[in-house]
Amino acid sequence: MPIIAVDAMGGDHAPQEIVKGVAQVSLTTDIECLMVGDERRIQEVLEGVSYNPEQIAILHCTGVIGMADEPREAVRTRRDASLVVAARAVAEGRADALVSAGNTGACVLASARFFRLVKGIRRAALASVYPRHTEYPGQDRLALLLDVGATVRCEAAELVQFALMGAAYARRVSKVGSPRVGLLNMGAEPIKGGETLAQAHGRLEALPTINFVGNVEGNDLVRGRADVIVCEGLLGNVALKLIEGISEVFYDLATLAAERRLAWRLGLRLLSQGLERLRELTDYTQYGGSPILGFEQLLIKCHGRSTAGAVANAVKVAAKAVRDRVPREIADAIAAVR
Amino acid sequence: MRGIRLRRPRERAPAPLICRWDLDKTYLRSEFDSLRQLLRTAFERAEDKVDVPGVAELIKALRQASERLGRPVRTYFISASPPQIGSAIRAKLALDGVPYDGIVFKDQLRHIRRGQFRSLREHVGFKLAELLRGRLEAPPEARELLFGDDWESDPLIYSLYADAIGSRLETRRLASLLRRVGVDAELTDRVLGLAARAAGRDAVVRIFINLERRTPPSVFQLFGPRVVPTFNYFQTAAVLEALGLLAPADVVRVARALTEGASYTPRRLANSLDDLVRRGLVSPGATRTLVARLAAEGVLGPSVAGPRWRRALAALGRLPGRRRRGALAAPPPQRPAPLDYDAILDQLRPRVRGAALWEAP
Repeated sequence: MPIIAVDAMGGDHAPQEIVKGVAQVSLTTDIECLMVGDERRIQEVLEGVSYNPEQIAILHCTGVIGMADEPREAVRTRRDASLVVAARAVAEGRADALVSAGNTGACVLASARFFRLVKGIRRAALASVYPRHTEYPGQDRLALLLDVGATVRCEAAELVQFALMGAAYARRVSKVGSPRVGLLNMGAEPIKGGETLAQAHGRLEALPTINFVGNVEGNDLVRGRADVIVCEGLLGNVALKLIEGISEVFYDLATLAAERRLAWRLGLRLLSQGLERLRELTDYTQYGGSPILGFEQLLIKCHGRSTAGAVANAVKVAAKAVRDRVPREIADAIAAVR
Repeated sequence: MRGIRLRRPRERAPAPLICRWDLDKTYLRSEFDSLRQLLRTAFERAEDKVDVPGVAELIKALRQASERLGRPVRTYFISASPPQIGSAIRAKLALDGVPYDGIVFKDQLRHIRRGQFRSLREHVGFKLAELLRGRLEAPPEARELLFGDDWESDPLIYSLYADAIGSRLETRRLASLLRRVGVDAELTDRVLGLAARAAGRDAVVRIFINLERRTPPSVFQLFGPRVVPTFNYFQTAAVLEALGLLAPADVVRVARALTEGASYTPRRLANSLDDLVRRGLVSPGATRTLVARLAAEGVLGPSVAGPRWRRALAALGRLPGRRRRGALAAPPPQRPAPLDYDAILDQLRPRVRGAALWEAP
């Protein structure tokens, strides 16, 4: 059974929601968790919920890296921080993967510091699953966007590696046989977007192991044209936050409308089933976090505001990725094109 | 001339140990969430009945550990199931090789014949009366261990019993509590009569609650340190070892039953033991010999949380904050603090089908 290290002190609702999420996992799956953080605080939460102690171990430490802390300095100096201790535990082989809802920058840097890059990989990528419209029956309702912030600026070779890593992840975790890979750009033509993107386009098109569908534009992000979309970190982060922001604004407006007029409220009530489906589709808690790909060990980064359900899903995704040997799949994909 | 025959002073035998076990969900993995499951349980053959992992080994280990010490031990079962399933239960206990001295069932047919339909689901009065009746038949100096589960009212029934025989519950108070729980007047009178005769000795050492439903442990804080909620019978055995009622070898035996018969891994057992320490049910020091023996026998794996000695040191440093610190590491209090039964009954949820009976505070 995989052992998943969980940073119990990272995130806006830590340790309560993190511990509750782990407790849920212990009751419904055979996954074992190593919770890292203040033992007394973790135990206090644990004793107030249903859990299975056989599947939970606690690694005590007192330090925390806050959401507002400067990541580089924090990872370097706070050796007793839960994220750092958890990453070290994974690197030492005491756990198979790491889940954290803490500071994203610190997660990336802790991975870089303690985990080994897969042979041949130049840069790691933070990938994010997000909901999109499907084009054919049976198509996964989630797409993978990478990088969304680990590597701000990229070279063409790195974008190609992101494509290989994303495709490997989609094959293993989303079970898409031959995932369609797109390059996020400002136009469909191969020469668009400047030298780096044009070079990346050319290399991806020439790769026989990748099902490359060409450039995809912003409006294609939420359509089913590609299962894996590759871009540099700055662009990916802006795109991801835009999708999240639109979803939030939509719900704020709907709530406002419902408060204003009875007729609108009734109208929304009539649409409630459809809205609920839309809410389920855009609910980040269902997706189980974003993997940091490119290392021999896995880190699944949850949303900072993650509640127990989101943490539980992230732990399940981490266990699935370990069972499906995602790092091995990535290593094989990289080795095949070298 | 005949010499004077000196009478050697007789050695005092250790006080007998009585173990009283609930049956469904404590010994047996009975499923009766639905009518279909209830019917299936009623007609199940002995060989189809499934016991909770480790329970049979624990009962046997308790008996053998007591016999080694020269302490008489008696094992009784008490069940709210009807006597009609008695033969299957007895056959199951025989199959498991579990020695016992008595078994009591609830005569549900009698309640139906008398039209006492409320009594069919009311077990507090029935179990309390049977426990008290059993106490009256036991040697007065006997100490007791009680075993139940978190499905119905075992923690409440056992606590009422322990306090009644320990003279910590006045008759009027017990009567009002039984009324509040819904015990009928006739049974209440019978219980009060029995309690008056059985009172006098603080005999209950511990009440073990098998968290079959995974009820949050904090729910049982109101019952005080006498009630010990455990998630598996390896944990129960470890606590009994800390109390001196089992030897490390007995715990190994229970652990083996779990690893060989219920696919437990050494790491899961290590996690279970760590959970006991974190909950303050055993002290890190008290487990030292046990851990060494379990590790030597290969039933306890290294914990992923790191070396045990390092964690024990860290735990010592954090001791002032532990809520149940020393609950078992120290000898049980001679006169435990009285329980707040009103608060306990407030916590007891109304019977809602499928809902947990106890709710977290």
